[in-house]
Amino acid sequence: MAKVGIPRALLYYLYYPAWKAFFEKLGAEVVVSSPTNKTILNSGVSRAVADTCLPVKIFFGHVMSMIGECDYIFAPAVTSLGNEAYNCSKIIGLPNMTRALIPECPIILDPEINLEKGRYHFYQSIYKLGRYFTHNPFRIKKAVEEAWENNLAYQSVMFDEGLTPVEAIDRMYQGKQQPDSSVASAPSLTIAVIGHPYVIYDEYLSHRLIHRLQSMGVKILTPEMAPEKALYDAARKLVGIPHWSFETDIIGAGEYYLEKKVDGVINLSVFGCGPDSMMVTFVQHRARELNAPFLHLSLDEHTSDGGLLTRLEAFLDMIKWRERICV
Amino acid sequence: MRIGIPHLGNAYIMVRAMAARLGAVNGEGLVIPPPMTKKTLDLGVKYSPTEACLPYKLTLGSLIEACELGADTLIQARGTGICRLGYYAKGQEQMLHDLGYDAHFLTLDISHHKFLNMLRLIRSVANGNRARTPLHEIISAFFFGIGKVIALDKIEKVAQKIRAIELEKGAANLVYKEAVKAIDDVFDSKNVKRITKEYIGKLNKLPHNPKADPVKVAIVGEIYVVIEPFANMDIEMELGKLGVEVERTLTLSRWIKYSLFLNYLGISEWREVHKLAEPYLDHDVGGDGWESVGEKVLCARKGYDGVIHLAPFTCMPEIVAQNIMASTKEDIPVLAVACDEQMGREGMLTRVEAFVDLLEFRRRKRDGRKVFSVG
Repeated sequence: MAKVGIPRALLYYLYYPAWKAFFEKLGAEVVVSSPTNKTILNSGVSRAVADTCLPVKIFFGHVMSMIGECDYIFAPAVTSLGNEAYNCSKIIGLPNMTRALIPECPIILDPEINLEKGRYHFYQSIYKLGRYFTHNPFRIKKAVEEAWENNLAYQSVMFDEGLTPVEAIDRMYQGKQQPDSSVASAPSLTIAVIGHPYVIYDEYLSHRLIHRLQSMGVKILTPEMAPEKALYDAARKLVGIPHWSFETDIIGAGEYYLEKKVDGVINLSVFGCGPDSMMVTFVQHRARELNAPFLHLSLDEHTSDGGLLTRLEAFLDMIKWRERICV
Repeated sequence: MRIGIPHLGNAYIMVRAMAARLGAVNGEGLVIPPPMTKKTLDLGVKYSPTEACLPYKLTLGSLIEACELGADTLIQARGTGICRLGYYAKGQEQMLHDLGYDAHFLTLDISHHKFLNMLRLIRSVANGNRARTPLHEIISAFFFGIGKVIALDKIEKVAQKIRAIELEKGAANLVYKEAVKAIDDVFDSKNVKRITKEYIGKLNKLPHNPKADPVKVAIVGEIYVVIEPFANMDIEMELGKLGVEVERTLTLSRWIKYSLFLNYLGISEWREVHKLAEPYLDHDVGGDGWESVGEKVLCARKGYDGVIHLAPFTCMPEIVAQNIMASTKEDIPVLAVACDEQMGREGMLTRVEAFVDLLEFRRRKRDGRKVFSVG
């Protein structure tokens, strides 16, 4: 049985259940790389050009950690998801960069997903992907349907129960009951954490930010917990028609939660993130207008636990202090 | 209405020419900000998001300077998606507004219908200054402006060749600067043609060594930092001083010629380059990333000695290109230079000198000469 490796990085957090269902329906075995650790990070950093952003370096690390464990690596080039919006260049050029930087890597499955080129192009690239496993177009169609259903189920798990992608994936595949997220029985603050899913939910990369906040008695809101339509509308209000698909969710969530009067907004971004560098400015500006607390954290491979924690604590103290003054 | 533009190489000459034809004089209908200096950069850096790219910071600085001189309508490019360019105008408008300038932005969409957009932009600018401008006047002004840019690029091409082999270093630069000034000062096409011929002749007559076979380097990368000498610290002139012949495909006139006209006829200037890039990168990644990869391959085939890849720091498309370029099988040295406000002239020069030395060593090795000469 063919083994398909899915690196636990970048778009994994958005589409893993759909991809898993698709490949399994086609009779392949799906292998996921282990959560990010120091070795993975270092091996990724060793290959990529220094200016590359951290999540992409981590992606390369994950790919390298799976060499020899699988027959294929799945690295799609997700160019556009429609609405005249595109993705960051690094996501579009991902399979090509992987091939160039890791020549010893297994065969890369690199469908180009570009909805701007129309439906036919999309069907064709999915069919081309399915051809690696079967020649029967009906089986491929079935697999796509299954994938779509899984994707919807995944999104509804996240949205209905307020789970993060990692928790939702655990719930779906391991039936693991999460320890009730209200660790501190009654959260005193509500804070929106906005950023790319592959930054926020990668525990190694984000230095367990979510857990840290939760253990400090903070209720977390992330972009995945808001309805997609509302996010799009909020983003439109802020910048007009958004040009970057994934940024729509981030700045949409920023605006949406700011309007909902959360206690504060934390933007977790990585150094050198092109889209974030432009878009988050708009959220920051809006937060200033509304006089809401806003913290911009920029991560890179040199970020230390201590520095991050100090800034978080100071931010929370500032919010609590403000509230005391207001009351 | 007083129009302000950000600087991009010689583009201001084109705008000034068009404006003059349409009845706007510098200072009244049109504000050309002063040439970019450290002050422009400082202004841009101060008021931009920290991680924005260099072109954003420089154009913002330039626009602030235009506003200081009283511009109220600013022109900025805009594109759809992938690269940060899509949000330049939006972010800069917000910033200028916060700074208290009541400036209105006119954006030039360079993703779709470039020709029509350009005409529309010129018309709206022209109508702001005068009641109704007839279409034929707009078109004639447009072509006159373009003519100047084409003339300048022609002269520059010759200057790039002569710079490398001239006997008296710096002479070609002086002539080129004179030519820019002369072309900027005339306002009819006949004189533009005459001046072009005159200065090309002058350049060719400069004392030079026609038998010299200088090291040839191609400059590729992101269009803004390649075209704007201030952004890349005059890298072309520095290379010229080192006796290196520079060639760059990205020029303003070429962009205009293809993007505004020939692309409509289905002729793409990049067809060959894209084809060469295909084994490594088979689709567009935004900006000039795809072209950079292809041009590296093309330069290797054409027998260049090296490639200098200029990109703004954190430019997404160019990072993709850099990651891929390093591992193509064409054997040609590439020097990647990240341009940002932290870049120092001396540091850049040291790297360029080392690179040129490397290219010379390679040449000697190739020709079977001694690589290291002792003494």
